[in-house]
Amino acid sequence: MTAAETKAETKAESKAEAAEVLISVRGVVKTYERGGETLRVLDGLDLDVKKGAFEALMGPSGSGKSTLLNLIAGLDRPTAGTITVGGKRIDELGESALAKWRGDTIGFVFQSFNLLPVLTALENVTLPLLLTRVAAKEREARATTALRIVGLEDRLHHYPRQLSGGQEQRVAIARAIVNDPALIVADEPTGDLDRKSAEDVLSLLERLNKQLGKTIVMVTHDPAAAERASIVRRLDKGQLQ
Amino acid sequence: MMIPLRYNLRSLAVRKTTTFATAFGIALVVFVLASALMLSAGVRKTMRTSGHPDVAIVMRKGSDNELSSTVESASINVIAAAPGAKASTPDLPSSSPELVIVAAIEKLGASGVTNVQLRGVPEHGMRFRPEMRIIAGRAPAPGQDEVMIGARLRGRFRGLDLGQSFEIRKNRQARVVGVFEAGGTSHDSEVWMDLDLLRTSFSRQGYVSSVRVRLSSPAAFDAFRAAIEGEKRFGFMALREAEFYEKQSEGTSIFISAIGSIVSVFFAIGAMIGAMITMYGAVANRQREIGTLRAIGFSRRAILLSFLLESTSLALIGGAVGVAGAMAMGFVKISMMNFQSWSEMVFTFDPTPQVILTAFTFAASMGLLGGFLPAIRAARTSPVEAMRGG
Ligand SMILES: Nc1ncnc2c1ncn2[C@@H]1O[C@H](COP(=O)(O)OP(=O)(O)OP(=O)(O)O)[C@@H](O)[C@H]1O
Ligand SMILES: [Mg+2]
Repeated sequence: MTAAETKAETKAESKAEAAEVLISVRGVVKTYERGGETLRVLDGLDLDVKKGAFEALMGPSGSGKSTLLNLIAGLDRPTAGTITVGGKRIDELGESALAKWRGDTIGFVFQSFNLLPVLTALENVTLPLLLTRVAAKEREARATTALRIVGLEDRLHHYPRQLSGGQEQRVAIARAIVNDPALIVADEPTGDLDRKSAEDVLSLLERLNKQLGKTIVMVTHDPAAAERASIVRRLDKGQLQ
Repeated sequence: MMIPLRYNLRSLAVRKTTTFATAFGIALVVFVLASALMLSAGVRKTMRTSGHPDVAIVMRKGSDNELSSTVESASINVIAAAPGAKASTPDLPSSSPELVIVAAIEKLGASGVTNVQLRGVPEHGMRFRPEMRIIAGRAPAPGQDEVMIGARLRGRFRGLDLGQSFEIRKNRQARVVGVFEAGGTSHDSEVWMDLDLLRTSFSRQGYVSSVRVRLSSPAAFDAFRAAIEGEKRFGFMALREAEFYEKQSEGTSIFISAIGSIVSVFFAIGAMIGAMITMYGAVANRQREIGTLRAIGFSRRAILLSFLLESTSLALIGGAVGVAGAMAMGFVKISMMNFQSWSEMVFTFDPTPQVILTAFTFAASMGLLGGFLPAIRAARTSPVEAMRGG
């Protein structure tokens, strides 16, 4: 156990819900076929993520960090093994059930922000709410609140190209939280940002975790980013080290 | 819930050049189709408005048009006095026996001859149609070799203009002494003269082509027809004038729509392939956007629908341009052969709501069909695409 993990563990255990496991990965194998060759990226991997945790996933390039994150977030399915999130076996869900599940459960933060360029900040943040029963007026109110949380209430009607990278990523975070998801996944959220913007984004994620109790799993190469997490895990050779 | 349409519309706006080029192709196709349909409707309208609701036309049973019909002079009075017919007054005669013949007349500005319909009417024939007006010159005098011409013929045929002469028949010259207007009806493309002049020129003494009868009211038609058609020894039929004209134009109007439709369908294949290429390009360029939408939770069906809407919108933009272009054709007059009467007539484009709806439906179909395969590819995009860099 690393020093950071130990520190995090004690910090988390002081909370009441610390024992509850949100994500449980068991014996997960993920292979890719490439040119007749089978590439075994994840090889019988086990992982438990507790509710309310802020975990960082590190490891060399090509070690399968994104692959694992995609599996946890229900973007992809494992070759073998089980993935349970919030008590639900998502490796068994069909295509459309999985899409619906993602909409209900996961907030996504991407390395390159992935805002729709033709929609304004407010419209981008409203998107996930279109999948819910929330009425139009209420959708706008909630999206505005989400943008206020990330400190962009004065940029509602700006298009992504009118925002800085850091601001774009904050809009993306607003979009990730607007549905009040159980889990936020972030794949190198600071990878495309300068130091200052990266700091802002990390502080924001930290705040979401501490103040709103959001569970966050973040893939990162950046030790400074990992520093903010309560638990840091290392992936290598298809296994968590 | 759906992905908002403005996502698609703005995406189209971003790719201005491609959007414009694709929409332009669709616009051309829709223009061709809409113009043909508007012309076809214009033909029907011209013909339909040629008829009065309270006028019946009596012809030989089984004849398609006045040209092929013969009514003996002896029957004229009986027809004019049948039940339902209105009593004549000196101002408004209640019947008009007319002879219709076509003559080949040399076209101006183009080689060859064209059939022009000649109509011989009794002295009061003009008064039978109160909407007719002489706009230049005067009415032909009976007993003279004089004619008047419909305004739409003016200046389009050798000898057919005020003060000029033409050959009704070999070695039989007639002088144009007047130009009339008949309210945009088919008469506007006819040459009118005294019944006896036409009869003697073509040796058709003893019969006419048709007898028009003014009814006491439009509702009196049924009684009138029963009386005419009930008299078996006549062998005549009675039609409402409006119905008769519309029927006459059916062949021409169907022919124009058919040609227009066939040509457009062939063009449409090209335009559809254009739309398909454009949409495939859009899908390829937006893999990460689509992946993101999928990751956020939009279903495959929502993506499919979104891209179908995008290609349909693209096609409808083209459709709108095409329809607008066809509407501009409203200022153009087209002269054409009317196949029933084998004579040249002039028609205008009639942009009926039906035609516009058809044109837009056609455009939308092109968008839907052309966009279908690209939309399926879009729907198949993996949500993992959202995670890929680039
Ligand atoms: N769809 C795929 N098909 C084939 N191989 C794949 C696919 N996705 C990932 N891989 C391979 O799986 C391995 C792990 O990829 P992954 O993206 O998970 O790595 P990573 O740890 O996120 O790396 P990085 O730090 O560079 O982002 C790599 O060797 C990659 O080439
Ligand atoms: Mg990665």
